[in-house]
Amino acid sequence: MDIGGLLNELLLEDKVLIHFDFMNGFFDINKSIVVTWGVIAVLAVFLLWLTSNMKVHDISNKQLVAEMIVDGLRGITGGMLGEEAVRYRDYMAVVLVFIGASNLVGLFGLTPATMDLNVTLGLALMSIVLVEVAGIKFKGFGKWMKSFAQPMWVVAPMNILELGIRPLSLCMRLFGNVIGATVIMELLKMAVPVIIPAAFSVYFDIFDGLIQAYVFVFLTSLYIKEAVE
Amino acid sequence: MLNISIMNVVWTVINLLILYIVFKLFLFKRVDAILLKRREEIEHTKAEAQRKEREAEELKESYAKKLQGAGKECEDLVAQSKKDGYDEYDRIINDAKAKAEQIIIEAKHNAQIEAQREKDAYVSELTDLVVHAANKIAVSKHDEESDKELYNKFIFEAIEKSE
Amino acid sequence: MLALGAAIAAFTGIGAGIGIGIATAKAVDAVARQPEADGKIMKLLLLGCALAEATAIYGFVVSIMILFASK
Repeated sequence: MDIGGLLNELLLEDKVLIHFDFMNGFFDINKSIVVTWGVIAVLAVFLLWLTSNMKVHDISNKQLVAEMIVDGLRGITGGMLGEEAVRYRDYMAVVLVFIGASNLVGLFGLTPATMDLNVTLGLALMSIVLVEVAGIKFKGFGKWMKSFAQPMWVVAPMNILELGIRPLSLCMRLFGNVIGATVIMELLKMAVPVIIPAAFSVYFDIFDGLIQAYVFVFLTSLYIKEAVE
Repeated sequence: MLNISIMNVVWTVINLLILYIVFKLFLFKRVDAILLKRREEIEHTKAEAQRKEREAEELKESYAKKLQGAGKECEDLVAQSKKDGYDEYDRIINDAKAKAEQIIIEAKHNAQIEAQREKDAYVSELTDLVVHAANKIAVSKHDEESDKELYNKFIFEAIEKSE
Repeated sequence: MLALGAAIAAFTGIGAGIGIGIATAKAVDAVARQPEADGKIMKLLLLGCALAEATAIYGFVVSIMILFASK
């Protein structure tokens, strides 16, 4: 068993899929980005099929599913966001679906898109931008600046540090969880090729992936809720 | 493994925004439109039902009022018809009286005329009689007795005729 | 030397284990007291576990970084 070789292959592989020669590879596109394109395409086609031919009365099962999905997603994210920030629930629902789908890609034999640090960093940056924008929108710029010195001026540096720590924590948690799950799954597959990996895949690929998506959205919602109170 | 390329982060952000737009257009907007339509329809139906209920209530109230008013109206009608009847009665009586008076007057008038005519006829008959008597006297012989008899006869005849 | 560093980084698992253990114990306590609130408690427990697990994950990431990113 060549664990080192496997890990090397898994962790140090070249992530670049589409290479552009100019600007020293600045515009290279990673495999994970292409995977998220696929995720978006599949979701878009699925939604188009799901919401086509909608009626007010005599709804089909398809439309029932669509309405249940909307209700469910909004229920989850709206409950986490609270009354004040309920207008961001659609975005949070999209993030939830995006991360969940990206994690579940592992089921189809692809590497999950969230195993790439760039993807999780992008998500975390969007989250922190949304949090601060929500704060500025709710409080106004002056009050938002003042809120850094609350509850005391001593904690101001901590609050400013939090601007960096929060997205870092969000992105590293997601990235670490997914990469950990993937590595363990690969090691398991190497050790026992049949049956056992399938059972563990239920936990590591489905359960853990969805839980991490939920945690990511929950923490972002918590930050937004904190920013608008 | 931990190398970060800014372009890929940007791509991720763009991907997320695209997915957001896709969700917004294909899921949330469509379902929202349907839900809104359904809610509108429910509101519409509710408003319609309320309107109808109110109308029925109003109708009921007006009927109750009408029913209440019907008794009074009935009395009014009876009183009115009574009054009309009395008026009519008076009028008829008055008419009858007037007619009767006129008839009486006419009758009186007629009686007068008749009396006059009778008187005239009587006078003319009397004249005839007188003439007749005069003739008789002229043709018969004249003695006291026969004159007397003649006068008596004449008078009797006259009385008989006048009666 | 690198392997030693990675092993030390893996000690973060201790904290995560203790944290999750305490959280689960408290959750069991709470469910025993209020069985009707088990749905909410379950949700919070999962969330707390995911957050506590994060420290172990950080350790794992650091150890992997020590082993591979330095190459």
